[in-house]
Amino acid sequence: MRQSRRIPVSVCLALLVMTAACQSNRDSGTTGTTGSIAVRVTDVTLGRSVGGDKAITDRTDTFRPNDTIYASVATDGSANSTTLRARWTFEDGQVVDESARTIAPNNRERTEFHISKPGGWPAGKYKLEVFLDNQSVETKNFEIRGS
Amino acid sequence: MGIFDKLGGKKDERPRADFSDVQSGSSTTAAEPSVPAPRPDPGPTGTSGQDQTYTVVAGDSLSKIAKLYYGDANQWHRIHEANRDQVTNPDLIHPGQRLKIP
Repeated sequence: MRQSRRIPVSVCLALLVMTAACQSNRDSGTTGTTGSIAVRVTDVTLGRSVGGDKAITDRTDTFRPNDTIYASVATDGSANSTTLRARWTFEDGQVVDESARTIAPNNRERTEFHISKPGGWPAGKYKLEVFLDNQSVETKNFEIRGS
Repeated sequence: MGIFDKLGGKKDERPRADFSDVQSGSSTTAAEPSVPAPRPDPGPTGTSGQDQTYTVVAGDSLSKIAKLYYGDANQWHRIHEANRDQVTNPDLIHPGQRLKIP
């Protein structure tokens, strides 16, 4: 009788410890001892405009020569510092622009990159490549069509 | 060598587009790092195996780019040293210039 009670108590203790560990992870947003959750890029969208939340409001992958092209990069995770970089290329790889932004994300964030060309974009096929801390994580193809 | 090569010229020798007037920017919902950003890895970027490059946009300065990559504007001279071949005056860089980031 007494022995049968000891097993449930130890199981309960183990469950209590596991629950506490899970709770601690959820509250502090930490994994391991690094103090941050690995940041990952969850989505990249292209369009002609962004809202205050940096999400695309006019989504498209076909643009006109005078459009400003926006890319909204969604990330999830937390870090004291991580760098997103957008490299825009034309046709066979000619670099159009490359810019980076270092952020301190906390869970879900969005970062937008945009490019414009006062003289008008040459028609053709373009590519956006997004890097997270120098690792290529996403590419998006888009096209400029003459008016 | 086909007849079309002779008549129409070489298809591959298409002139490169001029992107020197491209303007770019970014904004984010995330906070700015409160501590200097760690230096990005100096190794290959993407799959190209080349050094990092940065295309200058209007309003840039070497200090601003150094702040972006190293978290310290005073490190501008490292970028200047790596680009001596195209930047003689560190106070004068032009939109469209592609700078090596050491």
